[in-house]
Amino acid sequence: MALEDDTLREMYRRMILVRFMEEAHQKLAREGRIHVNPHLGTGQEAVAIGVTGPLRKSDILFGTHRGVGEYIGKGMTPKDIWTEYLEKRTGLCKGKATQHLADRGNNIPGLAACLGSDFSMAVGTALASKMRKLDQVTMFYVGEGSCNEGDANPSMCMAALWKLPVIFAICNNQYCEMSHMREHFPTEDVAPRAAGYDIPFEIVDGQDIETTYEATQRAIAHARTAKGPYVVEYKTFRMAPHYAADSAKYVPKEDLAAWAKRDPIDLARTKILERRILTETQDEELRDQLRDEVAAALEAAFAEPDPGIGDLFEDVYA
Amino acid sequence: MGQKISFLKALNEAMAEEMRRDPSVFVLGQDVRIGVFGQTRGLVSEFGEERILNTPIAENAMVGAAIGAAMNGMRPVLELMFGDFLLMTMDQVCNNLAQWRYITGAQYEMPVVIRAAMGGGSRSAYGHSQCVESQLIQTPGLIVAIPSTPHDAKGLLKTAIRSNDPVVFVEHKRLILSPLKQEVPDEDFTVPFGKAAVRREGSDVTIVAVGFMVTKALYAAEKLAREGIEAEVIDPRTIVPLDTDTIFDSVEKTGRLVTVEESRIRGGVGAEISALACSDYFSCLKAPVRRVAAPMVPVPGGPILEDLYLPNEDSIVRAVRQIV
Repeated sequence: MALEDDTLREMYRRMILVRFMEEAHQKLAREGRIHVNPHLGTGQEAVAIGVTGPLRKSDILFGTHRGVGEYIGKGMTPKDIWTEYLEKRTGLCKGKATQHLADRGNNIPGLAACLGSDFSMAVGTALASKMRKLDQVTMFYVGEGSCNEGDANPSMCMAALWKLPVIFAICNNQYCEMSHMREHFPTEDVAPRAAGYDIPFEIVDGQDIETTYEATQRAIAHARTAKGPYVVEYKTFRMAPHYAADSAKYVPKEDLAAWAKRDPIDLARTKILERRILTETQDEELRDQLRDEVAAALEAAFAEPDPGIGDLFEDVYA
Repeated sequence: MGQKISFLKALNEAMAEEMRRDPSVFVLGQDVRIGVFGQTRGLVSEFGEERILNTPIAENAMVGAAIGAAMNGMRPVLELMFGDFLLMTMDQVCNNLAQWRYITGAQYEMPVVIRAAMGGGSRSAYGHSQCVESQLIQTPGLIVAIPSTPHDAKGLLKTAIRSNDPVVFVEHKRLILSPLKQEVPDEDFTVPFGKAAVRREGSDVTIVAVGFMVTKALYAAEKLAREGIEAEVIDPRTIVPLDTDTIFDSVEKTGRLVTVEESRIRGGVGAEISALACSDYFSCLKAPVRRVAAPMVPVPGGPILEDLYLPNEDSIVRAVRQIV
């Protein structure tokens, strides 16, 4: 199956925007102009965008701390992301969340800093959708490493037991912080755990946007029709280090080279050109336009006001 | 005035009344349809299985699910059967529930109540007997309510369910199981957070007692009265927020302070009140502050050692005699 031209072009645009956002973040960090340590999702754009692409605005998304892909995909603007990353008091979280982005307008409740704790929160939002009879699914987007947290097990259990409209979307980038997943898992795949709860699951290629998007569509269709949860594992590769200070010498060069040949943006570009959705010139124009968009959002965010002592004490019961 | 009800009935009525007035309120927890101690007993017949939701045995994830439900428009009342199980949920409670509003710039509020039965006396040993409320006062963002009477159990729980900030609601097992009844208003009423009750007036010493220890402090005050010592007994009702005005108005009058709690002594509620006394009210003190609390040991399982572990009216009387 192929995506409609308009959909493929839009997903391609989002993937490039994410890549440029993260490149800009990396540059800012090198220049010492941002405190949020870049945990980049380079190479995983087809997963983050494919997982969020078929969602509606009214659906709920829990994201990760790795990159901005799923947040852009769910509708956050570059300006809102920069404003929060730069600790501006006008940020959606008033500069208090930084990389733990939350955006109520786009139904993004936030990210648990202790990884995996939000597994059960996703069960809770889906439970509320069911109790309130809302036509709404919860997308729980998580890295494979976090699936070893204690919350994963009871959350899948409760989601299946109560037939909740929640999708557990596992981005398997093969690295759990600074070690390969073989040091964390006795298996190559994580998704088959779902079978233990009678939850249907799929394992798909995470590099091809059409594959990721369509797998997500199947998962959402299942969850939206009251059949209960669904698990999808997207196989990808973390091209970036864990964070800026990580030399990532533990990642074999030959693996990096092999996966670079299947860069998700390059794969999508080939399809876009082959199907004449864009010409090479139009592709260049699109990229120029996105570079400008990222730079303009960044400049606008830098101009926003910093928080002060009053902000330190606001928004908490003490 | 209205009818007389027990502490247990007060909790049950508070939940039922709040569920009637607000369809977003629901109860979840392990075996809440049965109600092991009885707080939720019978609710399922009025509100159905969807709003009285039995959960698997997974405390940390139960709190996470309550957080998620609150993020999406519901007002969950979560029962943790034993307060000791709160320690299994410290990640969700202290890292997430308490701090989510702040960290999201108040985009998300957390109208979650966690009710937990605490306290010793039932010979249930170390993991089913502790009072852990004082371990929660270090976390910003959490309200900690700890009623000592049926009236306050009902009024505080109703306030807790209407609160948009998270509340840990402490129910002492000796109060849950007590047959004692108290008159409560027939009409809808609430008890505000941060407003202490003066349970007994006196001029010689201020006893600040928490939760079930209020009962013990009142017995102790009667014994002391026979010796000519008049104790003022203050029940804070919530330890966060703490009604320092009422506590220290009393200390200014009596000049002497004894704190009483069933949680442990190190870093406890008494330690916090003592620190406030030393820093802000030092000039009113005529004697050192005494703290009555559980010792820094696990709760033993058998009756001989557990009775030695638990604070009681005699330990309160002894503490008062040391400073009056």
